[in-house]
Amino acid sequence: MRDPYSILVAGVGGQGNLVCGRIIAEAAVLQGLRPVVGDTFGASRRGGSVMTHIRIGKQDWGPLIPKGEVDVLLGFEPVEALRAAVKYAGERTVAIVSKMAIPPSNVTSGDLRYPAISDIAQGLESVCRSVHMLDTEQVLEDMGSTRVLNSFMIGALSSIEDVPLDSKNLRKAISNVLESEKDLAAFQKGAKAL
Amino acid sequence: MSKSKADVIMSGNEAIARGAVEAGIGFCASYPGTPSTEILTSLFETASKTDSHVEWSSNEKVAMESAAAASWAGIPALCSMKSLGLNVASDFLLNLNLSGTGKGGLVIVVCDDPKGHSSSNEQDSRFYAKAAQIPLFEPSTYQEAKDTVVEGLRLSKKYEIPVLIRSTTRLSHSRGLVTIGKVSAKPLKAGVLQERLYNVPAPHLRHRDLLGKIEKIAEEFERSPFNIEADITNMKLLLISSGISSSYVREALHSIPSHRIGHLSLVTSFPLPKKTIINLLKRTDRVLFIEENDPFIEDEVRGLSAELEGVPHFYGKRSGHIPSYGEMNTDIVSTRLQQLTGQQMIKTTKKESHVSDLLIERPLTFCAGCTHRNFYWAVRTVKKRLGGKLVVAGDIGCYSLGVFYDEAMDTMQAMGSGVGVGSGLGQLHRYGFDSKVVSVAGDSTFFHACLPGLINARHKNADLTFVILDNATTAMTGFQVHPGSSEQEDSLRRVRVEGLVKAVEPDFFSLGDATDIKSLTDLLHSTVQKEGLKILLLDSVCRLEEVKRIPGFVGATPVHIDRDLCKGEKCKICARDFGCPGLSWDQETNYPIVLDHVCVRCGACISVCPHDAIVEGE
Repeated sequence: MRDPYSILVAGVGGQGNLVCGRIIAEAAVLQGLRPVVGDTFGASRRGGSVMTHIRIGKQDWGPLIPKGEVDVLLGFEPVEALRAAVKYAGERTVAIVSKMAIPPSNVTSGDLRYPAISDIAQGLESVCRSVHMLDTEQVLEDMGSTRVLNSFMIGALSSIEDVPLDSKNLRKAISNVLESEKDLAAFQKGAKAL
Repeated sequence: MSKSKADVIMSGNEAIARGAVEAGIGFCASYPGTPSTEILTSLFETASKTDSHVEWSSNEKVAMESAAAASWAGIPALCSMKSLGLNVASDFLLNLNLSGTGKGGLVIVVCDDPKGHSSSNEQDSRFYAKAAQIPLFEPSTYQEAKDTVVEGLRLSKKYEIPVLIRSTTRLSHSRGLVTIGKVSAKPLKAGVLQERLYNVPAPHLRHRDLLGKIEKIAEEFERSPFNIEADITNMKLLLISSGISSSYVREALHSIPSHRIGHLSLVTSFPLPKKTIINLLKRTDRVLFIEENDPFIEDEVRGLSAELEGVPHFYGKRSGHIPSYGEMNTDIVSTRLQQLTGQQMIKTTKKESHVSDLLIERPLTFCAGCTHRNFYWAVRTVKKRLGGKLVVAGDIGCYSLGVFYDEAMDTMQAMGSGVGVGSGLGQLHRYGFDSKVVSVAGDSTFFHACLPGLINARHKNADLTFVILDNATTAMTGFQVHPGSSEQEDSLRRVRVEGLVKAVEPDFFSLGDATDIKSLTDLLHSTVQKEGLKILLLDSVCRLEEVKRIPGFVGATPVHIDRDLCKGEKCKICARDFGCPGLSWDQETNYPIVLDHVCVRCGACISVCPHDAIVEGE
């Protein structure tokens, strides 16, 4: 495996970045590896951008991913995914991004327009190796809950070829942290999403 | 690497709390503040099991005083706080260092916030260790975060000196594996206070004794296993780092091919282990310092090197090689290493992007239905009615976001500063200052630091309206209990804001309802026009706390937009100016819409629309 393997989770406060970091860290421990998870959540309660840096390896790595060194970017929100990618993505980065937008207050106020998703996808492609834009809204509607976005995205992560975490351990970590059948179903859906 | 059974994922803050439990600390006190809050939150979780005392004190100075008292009585104590909190407690600290901490032992934890992610400055609190001449630990890993608490308490007990542990945001708020040890099972019993727990009549002799202690501690630090030297044989360059910066150095060194770079990860950064450092300086002619935020170790080492015959070249913040502000990261270390060694890193290249116009900002806002927004809406309306002649002296809390809300808040510095600044502004009439003065504070901030300012305003007859936004919780940091909280545990007695402020006998006092914008605006307008010291205590609601207390709670007033009355794009007052996240501008139809999944059904926005187009009902 690549050591460290670096996963960056980008989203908005309240979307569950912190839980996502906890699940992946737990899966890494189950795998016999050492995770380091760095959260930025100072202003997360107030609708701000939130990033979680996850490093997985045989030793402890720094809590911030160096620029360009992201292996997988999990984007829970399109603009936040692009913001994180511009800062941290590189030629190795596989971006998995939920298309569901959470418009910031300057958009809901009518002052700005939320960028077109196709423009964001193009922007991501210009800084990442590959980009998967996922139609999460439909999937989550089918499942009857937006709360399972975390498990769906982790499912998608599990299908990336060089991810050092077994599906078995990711599923077990989801069960340990969330204790929900719905989440395991969302994980399975995510695993087939790419 | 296989995982031992005792390895647990912990944040830096959780590890510090675990250290306190393993060390057998029996008295823990703090005031909440990011990024330090989770230390005490974790200790609350274990308090019943360990039968220890854990409290949210009314401020950091009280927390430190209470903890020192426990230590004097023989009970090991810990107090934790954010950077700015140590400023509040520093008056006591710079006396306690001389008085000594008695038999119990006292560990103080300060969590600095480089870049000010959740703070109004990015101060370096290590200077308090130097000012107070007390030992300082800067853990660089989650394991060290735990272990330095145990070691810090040992040292504090031995020398009867307060010990400072300094963390920064990235250690406190990141997590990794920690090998945990046994929980102390030693029973604690309070003893009698020793004599002369004061510094007079000869504080200079106490100072002399303190310096003697610190000299002995420096000797111990020479042998401290926390300070780790790596690759120091035959080195061409030495890196000296502390705290979480050491983890960035270790990572950067991994991707550079040369092995002739030495590294000292310094955890005991005051007093410096002089001999250890001098020995290393003699073995290299170049030294690079990596630390957050100020050149604290750099300056100490530069001072030390004056004794050397051949002084190495120093690279750091003083030389301009390392940024003097903001956070440290691996990239900064890598860039300097490349420059100083002339070697390329093994590193993936970053593609250049040209998408910045898509990166719309995500400003922080008050939550949907937050009554602080109602208050600032009222401020804004009254300010207009007074032709702009109204200033708002603000304070620290969620309501600090008022600085972003049409700049409804004019000043915002330290806890309690709103009423202190207002006390000054309210006495400038003789110089022609003719704006009405409003000072704002939240309830937790009121108890923390507002009383002296309020009493001064009363005593000096300042012309001032002091508004307390009372949502009965410490909302900003996660709903910690404070003296005025509406729900208290059995052992705690509620202290009411109303009784306290009435005791200073203001010229005018009124309760107000922050959920009702119309009555609130009229109350504020009539109040600021009265003479003298006026106090408004506003019954406010934190919507996050409400939902936490009553899961699934929504208000009784759903609203919708009547498009026959709405003026659409010509107006936009609700979506653009009031700006509740429950209302959104629909670009397709050019009308506002109510976002049902965000709206908390408080009905506050009804009175905001000048055309009565926001109406009650689904």
